[in-house]
Amino acid sequence: MLNRAIQPTVNPIDHIDIVQAEKRMLSNGIPVYFVDAGTQDVVKIDFVFEAGTWFQTKNLVASICNSMLEEGSQNYPASGIAEKFDFYGAYIQLVVDQNQGFINVISLGKHLPAILDVTEDILKRPVFPEHEFQVLIAKNKQKFLFENEKVRTLCQKKFTQVMFGDAHPYAINNKLEDFDLISREDILQFYHSFYHSGNCQILVAGKVDPEYSGVLNLLDAYFGGDDWASPSARGPILIPEYAICPDPQKRHWVEKANSIQSAIRVGKNWVPKTHSDYHALSVLSTILGGYFGSRLMANIREDKGYTYGIGSFVLTLKKASYLVISAEVGNENVEPTLTEIKAEMKKLQTDPVSDNELETVKSYLLGEFLRDFDGPFALAASFKAINDFGLDYSFYDQYLKVLRNITGEELMLLAKQYLNPEECYTVVAGSKEN
Amino acid sequence: MIHFERTKLANGLTVIVHQDKTTPMVALDVCYNVGSRDEHPDHTGFAHLFEHLMFGGSKHIPSYDEPLQKAGGDNNAFTSNDLTNYYLTLPKNNLETGFWLESDRMLELAFSKKSLDVQRNVVIEEFKQRYLNQPYGDVWPLLRQLAYKVHSYQWPTIGREISHIEKATMQQVKDFFFAHYAPDNAVLVVTGNVEFDEVLTLANRWFGPIPNRNVKPRDIPQEPVQTEIREQTVVRDVPNDAIYLAWHTTDRLDPMYYATDLISDVLSNGNSSRMYVNLVQKEKLFTELDAYLSGDYEPGLFVVSGKPSNGISLETARKAIERELDRMKQDLISEYELEKVKNKLEANIVYGEMNYLTKAMNLATNEILKDADLINSQVESYRSVTAAQIREVSQHILRPENCSVLNYIAKK
Repeated sequence: MLNRAIQPTVNPIDHIDIVQAEKRMLSNGIPVYFVDAGTQDVVKIDFVFEAGTWFQTKNLVASICNSMLEEGSQNYPASGIAEKFDFYGAYIQLVVDQNQGFINVISLGKHLPAILDVTEDILKRPVFPEHEFQVLIAKNKQKFLFENEKVRTLCQKKFTQVMFGDAHPYAINNKLEDFDLISREDILQFYHSFYHSGNCQILVAGKVDPEYSGVLNLLDAYFGGDDWASPSARGPILIPEYAICPDPQKRHWVEKANSIQSAIRVGKNWVPKTHSDYHALSVLSTILGGYFGSRLMANIREDKGYTYGIGSFVLTLKKASYLVISAEVGNENVEPTLTEIKAEMKKLQTDPVSDNELETVKSYLLGEFLRDFDGPFALAASFKAINDFGLDYSFYDQYLKVLRNITGEELMLLAKQYLNPEECYTVVAGSKEN
Repeated sequence: MIHFERTKLANGLTVIVHQDKTTPMVALDVCYNVGSRDEHPDHTGFAHLFEHLMFGGSKHIPSYDEPLQKAGGDNNAFTSNDLTNYYLTLPKNNLETGFWLESDRMLELAFSKKSLDVQRNVVIEEFKQRYLNQPYGDVWPLLRQLAYKVHSYQWPTIGREISHIEKATMQQVKDFFFAHYAPDNAVLVVTGNVEFDEVLTLANRWFGPIPNRNVKPRDIPQEPVQTEIREQTVVRDVPNDAIYLAWHTTDRLDPMYYATDLISDVLSNGNSSRMYVNLVQKEKLFTELDAYLSGDYEPGLFVVSGKPSNGISLETARKAIERELDRMKQDLISEYELEKVKNKLEANIVYGEMNYLTKAMNLATNEILKDADLINSQVESYRSVTAAQIREVSQHILRPENCSVLNYIAKK
């Protein structure tokens, strides 16, 4: 007889297969990391440069420089570049984060030669045409105005500003005037300083040939020469140092007239990936707000119905890490939500996590771990998450060990040390009148 | 090419299995043939509110999420105008937990008052977050209302107004469940590291005993043919003016659908597309410009939306769009251009076949549409479209009297 009240036997996850990235070199020393996985004839190649916002001396320069790469090169006008990618059904993604600039290419394997041919021109010989530059500035200006209508954007900006100090590169402080202050010259200079073979690494993920010879030869032919070394051959780039200057005041408000919801950010600095408590704290932050069954979701959404969604995230950057809780709530529910957030943090500090809850979160995180290593793109992302921080795969062995052994008591002690509500910054963006 | 096996249980539940042994995971997708098009005009937003209630406990299982998480699972769901789709992924050796959870909530919900009270609030906050408190957030609701006068596509899945959600009663929830949530109105798809026989055994064990509920075929009043252009102008507190043009187009199974989809690609898919190259890059008339299909199963909309550059009037903007559309109606597109948009579609189909969960969702939603095998025949359907058909369909769809125009003016 079928008993629907009892869950079928849950089997432990005992075996986790990790396809590790393997390193090769181009003739000029560019490291290439291969993740060979997947069944479809698809390859994703990331060209990664240490060219993030950290390195810019003027707002917007890093991102505009990166975006301009596909706007025309010596042998292809902007429309010609777009024609190539579209004709072969390939994609180019240009992205900048705090530390790096990316040129990511996704293509069917059979079209890779044609796609790398145009990618070479984009990377080595961009011309940054004035017309396209103006079009891009106008587009980004409109996007900026659009994004700044959202309470969540205003809140996140203010949050990073008070966490790091206005002048720090991790603070998002773009202003409308910045679009008028940036020139084509700024872009050229940034390109020459940071987009060259000495500042590049390559990550290849997908179905590649055995020993990678085909793709490796292609990459070497297009990118392995000395023709795109730094023009001044000045050697390693000097990484600027910035001091973090957190705001002494912990509570902040951003006014957004006529807003019917308010965005909330509550957060604090966090330990780096290399810290011995990092893994255990990942478990702790998951319990607090990192999955659907988390304390914050259970209380603030599923019990009180204050919000469509609330979560906590740990952001690990090269020079700093932070934990942030975020939600959008009706204006009338801002204070009750903040009270509940604090109460949930306090509860983690005073009561050990129960065995039942711990079992749930451990199983959930083990399932997530399987997903993080499933498929070529996930495998590549998991590799990058360690490689960028000078870590190796033992980081994940360590994580599994901590995940399997951590206790409710240990989590409570960690919460006492790291989750003090008094140490948190609270930023709310919304309307006081509504 | 996606190989799959398909069978039907005695109670009417369709079961589809696709094996992909490269993943250690399985995906289980249950798709119900009910969406916001099935709602009463005075109780809109109900299908979507109901999706939330599906997580509030079922007849024998008080919590949906916790046991799933205990088995290493993750899940989500979405509601569209046409259907409601629930999907979860699990490590392969815990597949049975997925069957246990999904079958119990198909059997019967807990119908808890607390869940209804809370999820009403959650959905109202979602309404605000996505539609009311977002710049341009009311565009789709306005456009649907303008284009549809009769058909239930006239309201968005979130609902026509917040009060409809506030007023939802438990009796309505129960009626909705028994009218639409039934094995004979759903598709079960399992993909990933599984065997067909294993799935069949589990499906019979857990879903087999659920009674067939004789779900009535839907009978939605159809939209009459539009005979004159419609235009609406609104003023909103947004940074830029915007323009939206919507034409009635075919349903998803019409042979013309594929040509229509390619027309939108020629116009705006990628930075080498016509509208982007000519109107955004060369003439700098727009900073954003897109053409796309609503993708609805019944006759849907072909939409062009654009944000004009600073100093460009909506009138100039509209004329420029019409110029590009006229070219589609007058000239044959070149073989090269046709080849390009077809290549891109074909590549996108390959990218979509990389992930077992995406495959499950595509199989399920196509089976609800008509036949899961459509995902395998679509390449050929797109490949066979000719330049002459593109021109013919452009002439047929992009007529002024078939168009609704929304002028969205920024408050100064």
